[in-house]
Amino acid sequence: MSTAALEVINLKKTYQDKVGDSVVEAVKGINFSIKAGTIFGLLGPNGAGKTTIIAAITTLEKPTSGDVLVFGNSVTEKPLLTKRQVGVVHQEVINTGYFSVAEILDFQSGYYGLFKNKERCEYLMHKLSLHEHREKKTRQLSGGMKRRLMIAKALVHSPKLLLLDEPTAGVDVGLRESLWNFVQELKKDGLSILLTTHYLEEAEQLCDQVAIIHKGQLLFNGHSTDVISQYTLKKFTIFLKNGEKKEFEEATKMGLNEVLVKHQIQLSEIQDIKIEEGKLEKAFAKMVAQ
Amino acid sequence: MIIFYTLLRREIKRFAKVVIQTVVSPIVSSALYLLVFGVSLGGSVQLNNGFAYLTFLIPGLMVMGLTNNAFQNSSSSIVTSKFSGDLEDLRVAPIPHYYIVWAMGLGGVFRGSLVAIITGLVGTAFHYAQLGKLIPIEHPFWMLYFFMIGGLTFAFIGIFVAFLARSFDQLSAFTAFVLLPLTYLGGVFISIQNLAPIWQTLSKFNPLFYLINGFRYSMLGQADVDLMTAVGVSLLAAVITFILANYSLAKGSFSRW
Ligand SMILES: Nc1ncnc2c1ncn2[C@@H]1O[C@H](COP(=O)(O)OP(=O)(O)OP(=O)(O)O)[C@@H](O)[C@H]1O
Ligand SMILES: [Mg+2]
Repeated sequence: MSTAALEVINLKKTYQDKVGDSVVEAVKGINFSIKAGTIFGLLGPNGAGKTTIIAAITTLEKPTSGDVLVFGNSVTEKPLLTKRQVGVVHQEVINTGYFSVAEILDFQSGYYGLFKNKERCEYLMHKLSLHEHREKKTRQLSGGMKRRLMIAKALVHSPKLLLLDEPTAGVDVGLRESLWNFVQELKKDGLSILLTTHYLEEAEQLCDQVAIIHKGQLLFNGHSTDVISQYTLKKFTIFLKNGEKKEFEEATKMGLNEVLVKHQIQLSEIQDIKIEEGKLEKAFAKMVAQ
Repeated sequence: MIIFYTLLRREIKRFAKVVIQTVVSPIVSSALYLLVFGVSLGGSVQLNNGFAYLTFLIPGLMVMGLTNNAFQNSSSSIVTSKFSGDLEDLRVAPIPHYYIVWAMGLGGVFRGSLVAIITGLVGTAFHYAQLGKLIPIEHPFWMLYFFMIGGLTFAFIGIFVAFLARSFDQLSAFTAFVLLPLTYLGGVFISIQNLAPIWQTLSKFNPLFYLINGFRYSMLGQADVDLMTAVGVSLLAAVITFILANYSLAKGSFSRW
């Protein structure tokens, strides 16, 4: 078995607020791992601890206990090694004062020891529709453009693991789609991707695996279809020839045949059938409510 | 090496973009000091060492320009990066801390020296107009040494304070309550020989006192401390502040304000 792109091991993070005596247990001992070359969705309501986990991976925050391995190397023990392999798009939008888009990408390349990186920067500016804005300072960019700039920044050094903390917040529908297409493309190139999003539908379509966290604890980790089948019901609406309408909610694994047998409906009575699959959204709400 | 070069290039480019405000304002303020203290009041100040007050004042103003601007450069670089979120990039990228410390230190030397040189030129013009001769430079090598060591020390202090500061107010408080008093009591405007003995003793614990007087010695060949003491103490101060700056990067926060 090849090493995982990311392993989060017993991760705990407690914020000591120096002002009061208040202590926030943001992450309370979480374990999960990401298989190399896959897309992993980290989901959870506001304040669940998603950004904190990402901060631990990038060493912006030091874990209170536990560790994070990037391709088998600990971020606390070999940070210079793991940092080279990680690219991150933060949730908070950047606001660099002095420099233009092109300069920012140039400096970012330099931070990773890349001197002649023009080709890659040009490619990314093209890919992310930033080319026409290359001379602009960040304050002249719209929110969505800034977001794209942040994505370009995260990719200048061709990382092997990409962390996206709500990359589609504030991005319009069309752009969001092209962004996700781009993410798919990156996956094809072999990148491993960890993303957080509040658009559960996207996570459902995009992610190979999802983890759901709430108040710093892991509630679920697996395929999104599994969480749906475990936590939601499939909805069958059956229109009969005599004009009657029957609605049943059944476990997702139930097939149509079984449902018909269970409710003693003959095939010949049926005019039309509508089946609604369960949604991650619902499973999510249910899980968090429990 | 490329990483270090990038950091330094960024520091210098950043400062170059605000060059007017960073260079013009010290020209104006040093011209004012020269006018008020050097020219107007200068005639009435009696110095023991035989120099005109204006001659005495110019090296002091140069060091003040050097240290203030070195401090300004690194601290404002960090503080603005904390506001914009850029500082996080430095933490996320594989950059050893001491690269950041050296790059910002040299950035400070660069800006501080530029301001000091401009102050020196403005001062020389006043000097020539007033006294009919140029200000002497007795020991150019030591002058360079104090440029370097003074710029580094105060840029390191800027790093230290800005990293550990939790708000903009804390940074301003440091400038007002620590930096300014040290500068004024360090002998920019006066020789400590003119001070009461208690102040003379206290000045011996002020690192700026050695920097100012060492620099003054390198220009005039005479000052309140002997050269080697000034060289030694200022070197020690640079080493200590370098350690403090590295410490602040390890302990301080790269997160946004
Ligand atoms: N620097 C900090 N100091 C103190 N508490 C913090 C800090 N950062 C986060 N927290 C707290 O930690 C908890 C988790 O925050 P985190 O930002 O990780 O949540 P999140 O899942 O990213 O939420 P969102 O979806 O809103 O982005 C929250 O209760 C938050 O208040
Ligand atoms: Mg978050």
